[in-house]
Amino acid sequence: MSGSDHNRWSEDLAAYMLGALVPREAAELERHLDGCERCQGEMRWLQPALHSLPESVERQEPPPRLRQALMAEVRADTKPERRPAMRRSWSWFSKPAMGFAVLVLAVALAAGYEIGKGGSGDGGTASPLVTHENGITMKMVPEGEGGTLHLAKLHQLPPDKVLEAWVRREGKVEAVPALLVPDRKGQAETTIADMTGVDTVMITEEPQGGSEEPTGEAIVTMSVPQ
Amino acid sequence: MAVRREKAERLADEELMPLVGRKDAEAFEVLYDRHGGAAYSLAYRIVGDRAAAEEVTQEAFISVWRSGARFDAARGSVRSWLLSVVRNRAIDFLRSKAGKAPKLDFDDESALEQRPAAERTEEEALRRETATEVRGAIGNLPGEQAKVIQLAYFGGFSHSEIAEILSLPMGTVKGRMRLGLEKIRGELAEGLA
Repeated sequence: MSGSDHNRWSEDLAAYMLGALVPREAAELERHLDGCERCQGEMRWLQPALHSLPESVERQEPPPRLRQALMAEVRADTKPERRPAMRRSWSWFSKPAMGFAVLVLAVALAAGYEIGKGGSGDGGTASPLVTHENGITMKMVPEGEGGTLHLAKLHQLPPDKVLEAWVRREGKVEAVPALLVPDRKGQAETTIADMTGVDTVMITEEPQGGSEEPTGEAIVTMSVPQ
Repeated sequence: MAVRREKAERLADEELMPLVGRKDAEAFEVLYDRHGGAAYSLAYRIVGDRAAAEEVTQEAFISVWRSGARFDAARGSVRSWLLSVVRNRAIDFLRSKAGKAPKLDFDDESALEQRPAAERTEEEALRRETATEVRGAIGNLPGEQAKVIQLAYFGGFSHSEIAEILSLPMGTVKGRMRLGLEKIRGELAEGLA
């Protein structure tokens, strides 16, 4: 590309960044940008200036009702509790290695997984469940129909990884919506809204953003007494 | 359900976004609490009406909630991205109002003349009073550079419309935009030095 050609596009960069080019002009510039590292560099350099513009406006206090209305709409969105994509058979779970792991775990759980001290005489349904695996401690504290899952002694994750919790209900695996990132102490927690019919809770390491189904073996698994 | 509020508060914006993408209401709430004020302020600055600013802000955040995965960390911070979503919504809002030109916020009579008389409300007069208080680096720009940048960014005008409003050649408008952004960038760089 010639210098004058570059200069022609370079002159349009600021207008483009400010949203002042018409769509046709913007599309032409974007095509040029794809192949012009100089323009890309100039745009990167100017970007902080663009980002300072909204910060320059006089501060207004949003009315509390805006937050209330927004969160009401957001929470209404979360009402459908199970994502259809999650309602699939746990084919991953049936892998021989995993089957063996579950068998071993079931034996281990039957032999000694701890039932918390708070629920004596009630069959343990309202007591915390605790299990240890791979040096990780996982505790489920029942709360209403659901419960809070506490994890401790977790390793720090690479930046591109998160932990994801899964429950198995009636033979089908479902993701717990929130992803987990261990804090500096190696702890993480999440809430499971509905534990009805859940017989297993497990944690896997997944790519950033989470997965629709487990992509690797569980780092910790807990059986839930029915 | 979601991560606990206290946990979400400890996460950086970039860490909250994947949670928002997974429909974590607590993470989203933290995001709003961090940036809702700036978003509303920007929306109000553009649309010039509190009810409309509320509407724009709510629509913008709901669009983020429903498409959180579109955030690309390589292209800037979560805050910049959020505010660009708000800005685009606000400009769309203005354009969708038939017969309404985007609001202006500086003392430029010739530009104001382009606007319907009904727009020259008392409220706008008050807003124009504050026009001279534009803060930050943009407030230090030469007036002619600040005007074209404000008309474009906060007014949603194209460079050709600005050229017409200010009776300037289009090349001059583009040049002033470029010089203005470069000057702001230079001041930001000095501030960091």
